[in-house]
Amino acid sequence: MDPCGRYSETYQNDMAMIRTQRQWLILISFLILLFCLPLFLPARYIGILTMMAIMGIAVIGLQITTGYAGQINIGQAAFVGTGGYITAFLAHHFGLPFWLTIPGGGLAAGLVGFIFGLPSLRVKGFYLALTTLAFHFIFPFALLRLPGFGGPEGLSLKPATLGGIIFVTNTQMYYLIMAVTVIMVYFAYGVVRSRIGRAFTAIRDDENAAQILGIKLSYYKTLAFAIGTFFAGVAGGLWAYYFRYITVEQFTFFQSIWFLGMTIVGGLGSILGAILGTVFLRGFEEIITYLAPLLIEILPFASKEFWFASMNLVLGLIIVLFLIFEPRGIVHRWNIFKATYRLWPFPY
Amino acid sequence: MITLAQCIFSGILTGLLYSLIGLGLTIVWRSGRIVNLAQGEIIVLGGFVVWSLVAIFSPFWWLGLIISFVLLALVGLLIERFTFRPIIGQPIFSLFMMSIALILVFRGILMVGWGGEPQSFPVFFPIKATKLGPFIFDSSLFWGGIISFFAVVALTLFFERTKWGLKLSAVAEDHQIAQSLGISVKRAIMIAWVITALFACFASIVFLNGKTLTHLATVIGFRGVVVAILAGLESIMGIMLAGVIVGISEALARAYLDPLTGGGMADIVPFVIMIVIILIKPQGLFGWKVIERV
Repeated sequence: MDPCGRYSETYQNDMAMIRTQRQWLILISFLILLFCLPLFLPARYIGILTMMAIMGIAVIGLQITTGYAGQINIGQAAFVGTGGYITAFLAHHFGLPFWLTIPGGGLAAGLVGFIFGLPSLRVKGFYLALTTLAFHFIFPFALLRLPGFGGPEGLSLKPATLGGIIFVTNTQMYYLIMAVTVIMVYFAYGVVRSRIGRAFTAIRDDENAAQILGIKLSYYKTLAFAIGTFFAGVAGGLWAYYFRYITVEQFTFFQSIWFLGMTIVGGLGSILGAILGTVFLRGFEEIITYLAPLLIEILPFASKEFWFASMNLVLGLIIVLFLIFEPRGIVHRWNIFKATYRLWPFPY
Repeated sequence: MITLAQCIFSGILTGLLYSLIGLGLTIVWRSGRIVNLAQGEIIVLGGFVVWSLVAIFSPFWWLGLIISFVLLALVGLLIERFTFRPIIGQPIFSLFMMSIALILVFRGILMVGWGGEPQSFPVFFPIKATKLGPFIFDSSLFWGGIISFFAVVALTLFFERTKWGLKLSAVAEDHQIAQSLGISVKRAIMIAWVITALFACFASIVFLNGKTLTHLATVIGFRGVVVAILAGLESIMGIMLAGVIVGISEALARAYLDPLTGGGMADIVPFVIMIVIILIKPQGLFGWKVIERV
């Protein structure tokens, strides 16, 4: 709902992403804050934020495929890897600049995603998920054997350059990746509020009804895969430039499970949910990593391995608890809060 | 020629083992319409429990074995009660995600409880190369194959001849109809999980016999997924044939395709089979009904 006194009088008004002046103010100050953070935050936190941004892009992609269009994809990490490898391949062999290689990686991942989305024309639900699972096993097999991808050593990249700037340090990478992330988030919002996004939601809610309304299922389902994996590919490209080398071991099945967990915790069917989920789970992981040395001092019997092992357990339990008690995720709570705040002091 | 025959023979034995693993998925699917992707984790958990308890009760290893079966049955009960029962009636996506979250939880339990150190699993069946005519095979695999065969037959008899088995089959057909005919869906799903956990414990003994035991062994669970999908998720007898098909094609790929690609083909072939069967015949070889068409 909109705040008091704000009415949609035209379709443009109704579709607007930013609906009030105050939202403009908050958005701009948030962006300024985002770009000022490196000035006063230590490098460690900048690294964490950068990782969150990279993962966030992949999770937003998954959110579009799974949360909006309802097509389960449990191979997102392999698509991230595909994008990363293609980016590295283009940069390594052809020396292309990053503003060509990253979209190239994204498009390649999108193409692979489109191919693996084709089974969605025939099967749905978890059968579809299993084909993406199969991709997770085919991906390392193929990349280790294809010529030009470096085999087990993987590929290394030169740092990204733009004009005279070479992106080497954490802070420089932060600016590059944050800029791409902002663009991708804007793109994602654009997709989900357009005809495409509404078609996705319709398909998720009821396929038959969607088809009767004239939504071409085959087109939109494969498109959902292509867009979702395009995001994964872009995330992979940024990943490749951030670490400047890429191997298949970086993209495990567990990574894919994390991505799905992030969409669940954040809330399905919401771009904001994808961001919140990433920040929440990733932040939790960082807190445990940070606390582990302190906890070892307090409880000497538990080694470092113990705490890292318990991380799986705790985060797995978080996902289980969210599925049982709040399947709509954090973003649902946030929406409730927002509605209550806007109606206050009236109860409804 | 002898290589081919040898491949087929050892493929059959491995395939029977796969079908034992795939059974875990079939049983849960038949009652609860839940794909249990965490089967591999449960099997390895069973392996670690057996390993610990057999070591603790070392002279009376059979006592440890019995207790581990009881413990695993308990694990099955707990899984059903605390993860899947609260989300009955929610979309299939939630059920699916729950089984994936269980992978994480069990991986965590394995790492916290037993650490990442590889252990050597006790030997229940003698491991030695046995010769039968011109074939050479691992005798433990042979016993495993025979046991898998009887397990599948026993389970088929249970589902088709006993009262409770029939009740479970009714639940598999349709939850609402079963409930209205006076069959407790809740209890049926619970029983299915207990049976699955027991089979997981059983499979861990056959599969891990004399091998090194680490959490990495959980990958075998996905082989079970492939076999169960190929068989059609509902058929119990069919899973044996599906397992054998997967086992033989894997063995053939290892013998004939691996030299061409530099290894690894044998691990891919099962998944290729899975994609093909999903595309051609989504209900599997022996599944009950046609999957809803898009």
